[in-house]
Amino acid sequence: MINKNIIENTITAALSTGGDFAEVFIEDKKGIGINMISGDTENIMSGRDFGIGIRIFKGYNSVYAYTNKSDEKTLIETAKKAAKAVIGENLNKDIVLNNIKYENNHIIKISPSEISAKKKIEAMKRAYISAKEFDELISQVTVNYQDYNQKIAVANSEGLYVEDERTRGRIAIGAVANKDGEMQSGGSAPGAHKGFELIEDLDIEWHGREAARIAKTMVNADYSPSGKMPVIIHNGFGGVIFHEACGHGLEATSVAKGNSVFADKINQKVASELVTAVDDGTMTNEWGSSNIDDEGNKTQKNILIEKGILKGYMVDKLNGRRMDMKATGSSRRQSYKYSPTSRMTNTYIDNGSSKFDEIIKKTEKGLFAKYMGGGSVNPATGEFNFAVMEGYLVENGEIKKPVRGATLIGKGIDILNKIDMIGDNLSFGQGMCGSSSGSVPANVGQPTIRVSEITVGGRD
Amino acid sequence: MNNFTKLTERIFNESKKSGINDVEIFYSQGRDLTIKVFEGEVDGYKLAEAEGLGLRGKFNKKMGYSYTEKVDETSIDFLVKSLIENAKNIDSKDREEIFEGAEKYRNINNFNQSLEKVEEIEKINFAKNLEKAALQFDDRIKSIQECVYGDGYSETIISNSKGLYIEDKSNLSYTYISVVAKEDEDIQSGFAYKVTNDFSEMNYKEIAKEAVEEAISMLGAKSIKSGKYPVILRNNAAADILEAFSSVFSAERVQKNLSLLKGKLSKKIASEKISLIDNPFMENGYASSGFDGEGVPTKHKEMIRDGILKTYLYNIKAALKDNVESTGNANRSSYKSSIGISPTNMYIKPGKSSLDELMKNINEGVIITDVQGLHSGLNPISGDFSLSAQGFFIRKGRKEQPINQITISGNFIELLQNVEEVGEDLRFGLPSNSYIGSPSLKIKHLDIAGE
Repeated sequence: MINKNIIENTITAALSTGGDFAEVFIEDKKGIGINMISGDTENIMSGRDFGIGIRIFKGYNSVYAYTNKSDEKTLIETAKKAAKAVIGENLNKDIVLNNIKYENNHIIKISPSEISAKKKIEAMKRAYISAKEFDELISQVTVNYQDYNQKIAVANSEGLYVEDERTRGRIAIGAVANKDGEMQSGGSAPGAHKGFELIEDLDIEWHGREAARIAKTMVNADYSPSGKMPVIIHNGFGGVIFHEACGHGLEATSVAKGNSVFADKINQKVASELVTAVDDGTMTNEWGSSNIDDEGNKTQKNILIEKGILKGYMVDKLNGRRMDMKATGSSRRQSYKYSPTSRMTNTYIDNGSSKFDEIIKKTEKGLFAKYMGGGSVNPATGEFNFAVMEGYLVENGEIKKPVRGATLIGKGIDILNKIDMIGDNLSFGQGMCGSSSGSVPANVGQPTIRVSEITVGGRD
Repeated sequence: MNNFTKLTERIFNESKKSGINDVEIFYSQGRDLTIKVFEGEVDGYKLAEAEGLGLRGKFNKKMGYSYTEKVDETSIDFLVKSLIENAKNIDSKDREEIFEGAEKYRNINNFNQSLEKVEEIEKINFAKNLEKAALQFDDRIKSIQECVYGDGYSETIISNSKGLYIEDKSNLSYTYISVVAKEDEDIQSGFAYKVTNDFSEMNYKEIAKEAVEEAISMLGAKSIKSGKYPVILRNNAAADILEAFSSVFSAERVQKNLSLLKGKLSKKIASEKISLIDNPFMENGYASSGFDGEGVPTKHKEMIRDGILKTYLYNIKAALKDNVESTGNANRSSYKSSIGISPTNMYIKPGKSSLDELMKNINEGVIITDVQGLHSGLNPISGDFSLSAQGFFIRKGRKEQPINQITISGNFIELLQNVEEVGEDLRFGLPSNSYIGSPSLKIKHLDIAGE
């Protein structure tokens, strides 16, 4: 992407003031975003993101700089400016880059850049029609489509030079149901590390109807009850509970400085023995996957919790120094504008042995969260919150009336220990995860689980 | 600048040749500095210089968009071709126009030369002092999660083929600290920030004190019994909720049936104690500007007067559709985004009561000092919210024990209608495209879920 000599010289300049490690990250990304409201395209934006990030370490400290310009003069100037923040003696390292090639585990069948906008819009219109025609209560449907191809290269003072390419696509359908002037919404937003085959292979109509069905169900629903109760969280995007309640606390970003409730707990019991949790950036063509992470390490499958025992964290190079642990292929960033840090990729609770029907049947009174919305967490206290998009009351072992507006709150470790049933129907949902290195695509997943007690914030 | 003028001219010419009638460039460049301190050392230092160029133009009466971060001649072909391809695929019948410029713009200065002269070592020392002060304040403060100082400069140019040329430059510095307090097994965190473009206003002792006091005051916090309680939303929490619902005022969302304020113009949507103002000329307003994202002059307006909804917020496209004038609220958050609608400096007009006076007549109630989950537990379409919250119990008019692990739930319109009193303590949140503030609000009741 940029001449290797220039990169070597840039790294040398970055180390000129005593840095012990330097890295160059090059990004060239092209993509399109299309918005549709009421079946009509409103805005279409095509663009190219291009820039170079330079990172320098000295011990536990790091410096980051970026620029959009790729000429040698600007790169060396930028590296020198960044190096000014490092105080030390030049170690005079010789930089020779070796090209490393990894096998591409995420084959793209149809490059989205070769598909016309018209064809993408046709798919969006199918989504619109299936949602709009689902029911006369559906008053509005929005469809957003995006795809991009991101080419990156990572080079560092250890001689690494590696390139990767990520092609991702996503279609997000939002439906609004209106009844007597009151509005409720529902949505479905599948995505993958795939080309346009994602759309061609997708049952778009199903997703459209599902968005509409949720909105219609919720506009007819009463408010959720409040208080502590058993909660059954369905598979797929329900995995956001692990992502928020525990996943962020297992990122080296918060563990390294002792700011996580999971710090210093390796090999200790942190969860119910039913729980095995994994972060796996290698899953073929999944939304959160890539061949390498954003500091050039091969992605890997990381066991976080095994049968309730904490086994590992997600570690990046810099925090790994402080923790004396190896990087786990978990270092990610939104773009060259961010210094990378440890983040989740595809994170899930693994299958258990209960059947879905059995979990419902064994619940006398509680809440069934069929679809979850998003959430957030304070890693220091472990306090999380997330929204239930589609919920139902469970009474005497049966799913009863739908309820709206429920939020679940609690503390990560409490919840992990209160998981008392895990289903055998693991599936995934897609989200965008925001944190200190920006917003990155992340899969969440789980089978249906039951938590014996969570605080439900409703209105009754 | 010379190179830029040349590039602009080439883009205009190339666009015209390709059949694009009106064309507009949105260019921005800037620099950013971030300093993170941990245990007395600068452990993160970030320096950025970046630019980007967005193009929009009308081809066959439809608006197309494109952008690039490779701002040079090699990008012209990509920009123009993408714009045309995108315009060809627009179905919307709504008219969108490029603005030819106005005769007069209010002059707003968002640039403080003195900030550019602050030495880097002063900034580093500030962040180090902030961390140190927070740790020394109280021995229950066990660690600092984040201690950050940052500043930035940015320059924006809008230039179009109808003759509009405007530029704006601004700078800003900010700092924030997040502290962790520990007593036995009880862990609480506290957060404080300051935004200004006058470095001399940065007082590390004040900021450290605020974060520490927040964390310490929450030690021993417990949940409470679920039920309906009279609630005071402290200024920062009220401002956060107002900001999360601000899209309901967008005329475009009203037109598209996505706002709960549809059909509510001239109607009473809030308690008569509520007046809501959008003031693009506010002093120290971080969203202050003489023109909006389309180059239209901005205006001061009262959006809600004594509870009555007076106007929605408009850009040109939404205004043409409703046959009114743009209110100067077009928002273009960056060269990467299309034209949207957002408030400028928007706030609920403060009343006369102090926080103590607001609490005075509450026998048993709650003061909410922080809410979490604004992007998931709050739905701008339905107006419903259910948010994780913390604060204090109020008994016989006095603040008592800290509470957490509760949610507050309600509906935005009900909330506005149930405002009984408005405090005097107007406070703004962190600036983004908009800068949104509120005084503390006394709410008749909200649903609280806890034990």
